[in-house]
Amino acid sequence: MNRAKLKRLIQDFYLVFVLIFLYAPILTMMVLSFNTSKSRTDWGGFTLDWYVQMFQSSTIMDALYNTLLIAFIAALVSTVLGTVAAIGINSMGRLPKTITMGVNNIPMLNSEIVTGISLMLAFLAFGISLGFKTILLSHITFCIPYVILSVMPRLKQTSRYTYEAAMDLGAGPVQAFFLVVLPDIMPGVLSGFLLAFTMSLDDFIITHFTRGAGINTLSTLIYSEVRRGIKPSMYALSTVIFLTVLALLLITNFSPEGQEVSRGLPPTEAEKAKKRRLETARKALLTAASFCVILAVSFTTYRHFAAARSNELYVYNWGEYIDETVIEEFEKETGIDVVYDLFETNEEMYPVIEAGGVAYDAVCPSDYMIQKMIENDLLAEIDFENIPNIDQIDPEYLERSKAFDPENKYSVPYTWGTVGILYNDKLVEELGAKPPESWLDLWDEKFAGEILMQDSVRDAFMCALKPLGYSLNSTNPEELRQARDLLIAQKPLVQAYVIDQVRDKMLGGEAAVGVIYSGEMLYLQELAEGKDFQLEYVIPKEGTNLWIDSWVIPKNARNKENAEKWINFLCRPDIALRNFEYITYATPNRGAFDLLDEELKQNKALFPDWDSLENAEVYQYLGDEADSLYNELWKEVKSK
Amino acid sequence: MNKKATKWLAGPYILWMIGFTVIPLAMIFLYGLTAADGSFTLENVAAIATPEHRKSLFLALGLSLASTVICLVMAYPLAMILRRRNVGRGSFILFIFILPMWMNFLLRTMAWQTLLEKNGVINGILTALHLPSIAVINTPWAIILGMVYNFLPFMVLPIYNVLVKIDDDVINAAKDLGANDFQTITKILLPLSVPGIISGINMVFVPALTTFVISNLLGGSKILLIGNVIEQEFTRGSNWHLGSGLSLVLMAFILVSMAFMAKYDKDGEGTAF
Amino acid sequence: MAHPLIDLVHISKAYDGATVLDDLSLSVKENTFVTLLGPSGCGKTTTLRIIGGFERPDAGTVIFDGQDITSLPPNKRQLNTVFQKYALFTHMTIAENIAFGLKIKNKPKSYIDDKIKYALKLVNLDGFENRSVASLSGGQQQRIAIARAIVNEPRVLLLDEPLGALDLKLRQDMQYELIRLKNELGITFIYVTHDQEEALTMSDTIVVMNQGYIQQMGSPEQIYNEPENAFVADFIGESNIVPGVMLRDELVEIFGAKFPCVDKGFGVNRPVDVVIRPEDIDLVEPEKGTLTGVCTHLIFKGVHYEMEVTTPDGFEWLVHSTDLCPVGKTVGIHVDPFDIQIMNKPESEDEEAVGVNE
Repeated sequence: MNRAKLKRLIQDFYLVFVLIFLYAPILTMMVLSFNTSKSRTDWGGFTLDWYVQMFQSSTIMDALYNTLLIAFIAALVSTVLGTVAAIGINSMGRLPKTITMGVNNIPMLNSEIVTGISLMLAFLAFGISLGFKTILLSHITFCIPYVILSVMPRLKQTSRYTYEAAMDLGAGPVQAFFLVVLPDIMPGVLSGFLLAFTMSLDDFIITHFTRGAGINTLSTLIYSEVRRGIKPSMYALSTVIFLTVLALLLITNFSPEGQEVSRGLPPTEAEKAKKRRLETARKALLTAASFCVILAVSFTTYRHFAAARSNELYVYNWGEYIDETVIEEFEKETGIDVVYDLFETNEEMYPVIEAGGVAYDAVCPSDYMIQKMIENDLLAEIDFENIPNIDQIDPEYLERSKAFDPENKYSVPYTWGTVGILYNDKLVEELGAKPPESWLDLWDEKFAGEILMQDSVRDAFMCALKPLGYSLNSTNPEELRQARDLLIAQKPLVQAYVIDQVRDKMLGGEAAVGVIYSGEMLYLQELAEGKDFQLEYVIPKEGTNLWIDSWVIPKNARNKENAEKWINFLCRPDIALRNFEYITYATPNRGAFDLLDEELKQNKALFPDWDSLENAEVYQYLGDEADSLYNELWKEVKSK
Repeated sequence: MNKKATKWLAGPYILWMIGFTVIPLAMIFLYGLTAADGSFTLENVAAIATPEHRKSLFLALGLSLASTVICLVMAYPLAMILRRRNVGRGSFILFIFILPMWMNFLLRTMAWQTLLEKNGVINGILTALHLPSIAVINTPWAIILGMVYNFLPFMVLPIYNVLVKIDDDVINAAKDLGANDFQTITKILLPLSVPGIISGINMVFVPALTTFVISNLLGGSKILLIGNVIEQEFTRGSNWHLGSGLSLVLMAFILVSMAFMAKYDKDGEGTAF
Repeated sequence: MAHPLIDLVHISKAYDGATVLDDLSLSVKENTFVTLLGPSGCGKTTTLRIIGGFERPDAGTVIFDGQDITSLPPNKRQLNTVFQKYALFTHMTIAENIAFGLKIKNKPKSYIDDKIKYALKLVNLDGFENRSVASLSGGQQQRIAIARAIVNEPRVLLLDEPLGALDLKLRQDMQYELIRLKNELGITFIYVTHDQEEALTMSDTIVVMNQGYIQQMGSPEQIYNEPENAFVADFIGESNIVPGVMLRDELVEIFGAKFPCVDKGFGVNRPVDVVIRPEDIDLVEPEKGTLTGVCTHLIFKGVHYEMEVTTPDGFEWLVHSTDLCPVGKTVGIHVDPFDIQIMNKPESEDEEAVGVNE
């Protein structure tokens, strides 16, 4: 008896252990979603702000809408197509059936990444531009097998005699199908629909490869947000999603039959009645839930189409690189609808423009990438007649721009800055190191595990080429190999290779030093006020990269005039000032600079003297061959 | 039913499959087996042998195998306890163990980032208890943890589904014939649940082997798995031919894994759905 | 003389508050064929599982050969079970299935091989060693399940509705097989079934159970000819159960007619239930009958006719006879005194259940 009790205790303990493992992360997110403090370890009091923020964020709401709409249409189409196909397959001969089912199983068994890539390649090869419809087609493709999977067994159970009996009793084939066969396989069809719906809702990888411009599902949005640093509104979103999923699954999955005692005792009348009541309640809830989803989807669809979109502008910009109210104001002033999409690195942006899967009208790449785009004939000449505000740009920057756009024909500078090292004075002191002043300080063993490097090829190599005394535009394989070796030697000390996340991590005190764009510094210093450390920015003495991000118009733009209106709008001093205040990257706009506080004008980290930038270089496009050499060497660093 | 007529109902879907499954797969072969100038080459596939690709493949294999084994070791007792408790399919207890599977996969991974970070929740608790903090984030351990967390339900379900189908009396028969608890498990339950185990291994191993999200979010981009390499070849636009070539290598591994499954799970018993 | 091998003493068992066995006591003698018979849910299978060790009684003790084995796990008990759905190990060959128990006990290989051969011969399946379980028919699987149990030389073989899944012809064949096996092995069989015909054919002793109580225990003849209550009478074979009044010893009044019988000791003018088997009713000329009625129904059943005779009070008597009586004909009903079985009327349903237990 005791042994049995002990056994049960151990089992209970194990169940609880697994439950904690499964739910601790989810509960943590739920708790944090109500935390006033942004810190993950302090409880700053209860708040619903993050929920408000989430519901007010048009990006999140748009992504939610897309997710639901795609899931709904994909589930509907795949259910109809899959059910019909299942009936067809069921009456096939052996061999064709085996072959068809084999192909049918491919999307289920193959790795999602391969499926995603294959679909992307096919879409682009057949000139289908990536966007809503490609996501939808892909989702239908991977949903149908699940529908067939759940309809097939039902179909096999359905005796063909019932169909024949119906015909015998005078029903036509179509009538017989709808009156006899369909009701019989309905449970399978329904569960196929639900399975397809959830699969589509949850998909990330295939969507990641087949989505195009200006369209996010919740999954892709979360991915790009998380890579930029976790915001509390993401916790709020998690909580809402979790509770929704919980409710939906409780309604659809948790059937009262499950509680049946499997002892073979006949259920009492009371139990039967209870079961019937539960079943009725469940059905009612299910109907109500599906009704709500349909209502929500059709309502938002109506709204989307009610706001007709004829006058559009596709913008492709860095993450968090604009004050969003500026977009709204532009839309209001011009009546143009802005479809706004984000990229994380120049390298990520380039193939999108090159493949032309999406026709963007205005893009904001960096210097060397602009040069590459010009050389590969991807850019349109800007009609400066349409951009009177070009006068507001300080001629000094137009001069510098000639390094990549020799005749100032293709680009209008938007922001500029340097790359430097941001350090946490308190952590640096605790580690017994001196404040960094050279790139080589990033090789200081004292900073082991405390270094954040940029996860982009050129910036990473710049950090190594500069201290070696080489140009950051070096194409000499020997020099690059030396830089590679240096980076490999540094890797054990590096905490992570990040892009935008560097901000969150520095602010959270996760790391002591990080390579960062000068523009982030001001914003971070402001946020770090009141913390027990300060974040300081240095431009290493070996010199650095002077970068300029400019607006360009791709050749395949469909709305070139709108793009010019957009660029002109952004060059307006008041708008440039607002953007500066929001993104805190130095502005090349003289009109905006003049409106700044004296203190900011004098901030040498933000607006360094031109003399002090003697060693600074602008990135140049180095040609395809050098590009792949860089990529190859970088991969070698990353895989060490 | 009138088989001659009804079988044509599969027509639209067969066209769909050709368009969206067969042709796309053929595109991978097309890209993977050609160079940028369109000439036939095996270079893209052979590129798996370069040190960095080889390393990323082996690392991915190692981490996914490790997490598959951990999942199996965790899931089997769990499935067995659930079976013994007679919870039944569709019961609430089973439901709460499967529920996290339906939570968005990225959010689940993000949660672990929150927990594991240097100043994350776990270290916060450890510090408050005056215990030494752990440095798991951005190491292979974090990736294994992420894989186990994400894919555990995919191991539990197929094993559970096979176990519940075993008649109680089969276990009773073993005991009746003199087998103790341990012998009953090793000689009866384990061999009978092989289809579920194989299916579970597949459902964990394949996505773990090919993941790029988990390694990205929990590995600090310091750890390149084969999935990351492929993803970057496409999204950072370096070389689609190379990316396709490496995908072909990956598909070879998936095929091996599938063949393995077909051998042990002939009747498709061990499914998760 | 055979001594009690298994003693169930005051066993009670409930699942989730529903009583399945209530204070049940039962003795099984060595080398007998005992059948637990009753409708589904009567507790017969639970009783068997308690003996097998798969269930633990809430109260009471299980004595095996003088030793208390109530809490002994099944793998330590000297008895083996043949399960309802055979419960063969599908991942093993036939030989491996049969060898399972012996391997667990670490018997030498040559011994095991001999045993497999012997057991397969015993169940008439020689040469099936390397077949897979799936390739066997239901009846063959059943024999393998028996072979797997008996190679362990149990002192008692428990059989839980082992023939339930077989078709009629096969079931009858297997009944004879089981009797033969029992005689050859000389061990005790405890057999659970809901099929009265099976029970009557094979058993030395039948235990009729209902609602967790033993209703009657005795030889097949006793159970059939002298049911002790209406439940047993109704459950075993077909019978006419009619209300009657015991006028005095050896005389009972049914629907106003006086029938001589052989029962005594019920007192005077006491209401009772009277059981009369359909084949014990003789149809005679109306004037010779104790009661008269009209034949209202007639079916030819092969060995006999099945008829319904309705008496003026409205009762429909079921009659089996080789003599035909056309529908509409008035006939007399005659019953020999020793074919009438008198039972006490239950005062409540519960009493009917407890009936014979004390």
